[in-house]
Amino acid sequence: MIEVEQAGARPDLEAVGEPAPAVPEGPPPSGTRGRPPSRLFGIRTEIPVGWRIGFGVVGVAGLLGLWLWSAGDGSALIPTPGSSWSAFTEMVGDGTFQTDLWASLQRVAIGYSISMAIGIVAGIAIGTFASVESFFEPLIGFLRYIPAPALLPLFLLLLGIGESPKIWLIVVGTAFYNVIMTADVARNVPREMIDASYTLGAGRGRILRRVILPHSIPGIIDVARINLAAAWSMLVVAEILGAQAGLAYQINLAQRFRAVDVMFALLFVFGLIGLCSDVILRQVRNRVAPWARP
Amino acid sequence: MSTTTGPAAIAALRASTPKLVVDDVTKVFAGRKTTVTALEHVDLHVADGELVCLLGASGCGKSTLLSIIGGLEAATSGTVTVDGDLVVGPGADRGMVFQAYSLFPWKTVAQNIAFGLETARWSKARREERVAELLGIMSLTNFADALPKELSGGMRQRVAIARALAPEPDMLLLDEPFGALDAETKRHMQDFLLSLWRRTGTTILMVTHDIEEAVYLSQRIYVLAARPGRVAAEIDIPFGSTRGPNTKRDPRFLDLRDELADLLAT
Repeated sequence: MIEVEQAGARPDLEAVGEPAPAVPEGPPPSGTRGRPPSRLFGIRTEIPVGWRIGFGVVGVAGLLGLWLWSAGDGSALIPTPGSSWSAFTEMVGDGTFQTDLWASLQRVAIGYSISMAIGIVAGIAIGTFASVESFFEPLIGFLRYIPAPALLPLFLLLLGIGESPKIWLIVVGTAFYNVIMTADVARNVPREMIDASYTLGAGRGRILRRVILPHSIPGIIDVARINLAAAWSMLVVAEILGAQAGLAYQINLAQRFRAVDVMFALLFVFGLIGLCSDVILRQVRNRVAPWARP
Repeated sequence: MSTTTGPAAIAALRASTPKLVVDDVTKVFAGRKTTVTALEHVDLHVADGELVCLLGASGCGKSTLLSIIGGLEAATSGTVTVDGDLVVGPGADRGMVFQAYSLFPWKTVAQNIAFGLETARWSKARREERVAELLGIMSLTNFADALPKELSGGMRQRVAIARALAPEPDMLLLDEPFGALDAETKRHMQDFLLSLWRRTGTTILMVTHDIEEAVYLSQRIYVLAARPGRVAAEIDIPFGSTRGPNTKRDPRFLDLRDELADLLAT
């Protein structure tokens, strides 16, 4: 720069209107700078759709392959997919499967509905009012570390051996998670949104019903979706420890007869129920709250 | 003597007093180890139909002051009165607009604007009429059924202003409403706010840290100093209703801008 000024030339003015001079071709690169990104294992980076599907297929096929390999010709303890399937059709044929499925679904549906109702009411109250939070925080902090299955003998003593101890085990085993996670959902309503509602003349009741609840609905559906797995775990504990029907009761029964094909068929059913409920609840969430769709 | 205490005298006194009076407001946040004085002996007033800015650097307590005026926070001492009434909590008479995140994302533009009208129990017919009127003023008629996430930042803030304006408040309190917008949109929104103010005659108190924005929009500016937050200066802005893009090149504009920049720097 200094040299140019001493020469008295004004290249900055002369350049106006003229096409920018082409960048002179330099020598070839002498090396590289930086680490090239990984194509398939970049941290939090998307991968091509083909690979995405491919990895998924490999995972499923791997599990199937492992099953086939360990089953061998069927003489081992592990049943072949074929024998599991015929065990399944046999159960459907004599109607035991339908009875068991209905018994289990009913328990989970009733128990988990009660649990979600507790979760929504208590969770929103805790996430909204510091006073309610102060009341429940130490209680929940203590109670939720008592393993729910440890309560089943007590429930059997108190409630008899009918449906209610099983249903209450599902309630107790999932309600704390539902409450705690729903409280977090309610806490995520932006402060500005609540303040704006106040300055639009809304009272606390109106803000709860018209602002906090609708804002929390997609989050609550997600909470329901995530904790549903725990409800099925509680069902299994309850049915193994005392039931006359149910999917887990049947698995337990199969152990006595070394009917491993029945066990495998029913384990598959559990996985399938979980997968279906997950997909359905995702759909419900997107339908009910299209505004929250990612 | 008796006339000085009669109803007529009180009415006359009311008429001569400003719309908003902040009298000796102090706000102290008491922590476990330290106490922070966010505001100390703040006095200010806004006349009916006036557009006033609270200008200050971040941390000077200007947003806290606006929250106290809005009734969202309580002052540690001192009072806020609107038309002679003591402010004890939030209400639709002081519409507030925040920087972001305040629109209801599940409601359409029209439903957002109607929220305050529903709380005030306006009839459906009056509600629809008022919403349509505001959509027109805000140039949002074509977006009545859009969700907030489908709008640009500037449009969202127009919806927020329309929503605050809908129940016909006595004044608008704006908390850095254009702070999250890009420079170009911000300029548009400033001109939009000016024309809205001229059209509706609403009293506006606006918090900003943008000196040019304050000079361009206000009739008066309160400059707040930080730690503790207090009124450092009160400055009249001489531009009347002649403000336009050229105002920003007016030598008086540039002088005021530099003067305020010096005030904020100290």
